[in-house]
Amino acid sequence: MDITETQEGSKAVAILDGRLDTATAALTETRLLTMLEKGSVIADLSEVRYVSSAGLRVLLKAAKQAKATGASFAVVGLQAPVREVFEISGFDKIIPAFATRAEAAAA
Amino acid sequence: MLPFHLRLPATLDSVTELLDALEAYAEQADIPPGIAARLALVAEEVAANVAMHAAGASFFELRVTPDAGALGLCLEDDGPEYDPLTRATPDTGAALEDRDVGGLGVHLVRELTRDARYERADGLNRLLCSLPLGG
Repeated sequence: MDITETQEGSKAVAILDGRLDTATAALTETRLLTMLEKGSVIADLSEVRYVSSAGLRVLLKAAKQAKATGASFAVVGLQAPVREVFEISGFDKIIPAFATRAEAAAA
Repeated sequence: MLPFHLRLPATLDSVTELLDALEAYAEQADIPPGIAARLALVAEEVAANVAMHAAGASFFELRVTPDAGALGLCLEDDGPEYDPLTRATPDTGAALEDRDVGGLGVHLVRELTRDARYERADGLNRLLCSLPLGG
């Protein structure tokens, strides 16, 4: 899992590349929560082909922390298998998902 | 379609090895990407739980058997008796602040597979389930 940071409008973007699974969950969580300390974050998952329950927990923690601090957290570019687990877990109701970073930044 | 069989030590490093092996298998066996992802999710969930929580478990074993339009999965470990299917389903309709981080993995297993059932025999935990190939 590689994570690259960039900016979209006024929001920080974390570009994730690779599997978000048991092995990569901890480092992803650390990075997202650290970024969220400074403000809103968009997680770009266009290059993430796989998210397991360990990965879902990271996204949930990020969303919870954002809510607690008044920042926003959104995901972008969910691939079909990722969208499937997102929806099965009910995350589509609690974590905003967009097709592009631009849409996420404008929200 | 090819079967798959892998037995690994019950460690977290094995989870990565298992996922890499399943990616290779999915390619060799021409398994559609969506099904391959479900297979990996189920395998990871059980393997990770064994590695993290099964005190004294020494191995985890996965067998995948293609049969009549579905993949039959058999997941075994030698940890203490534990039926993962008894874990409570998370409240997927709860508000963000009320959502609990636990129970998601088993929820995915229940939702993505068919005929999931647990057995305890010969000192082994055995989880059996089926992944339909039709989607």
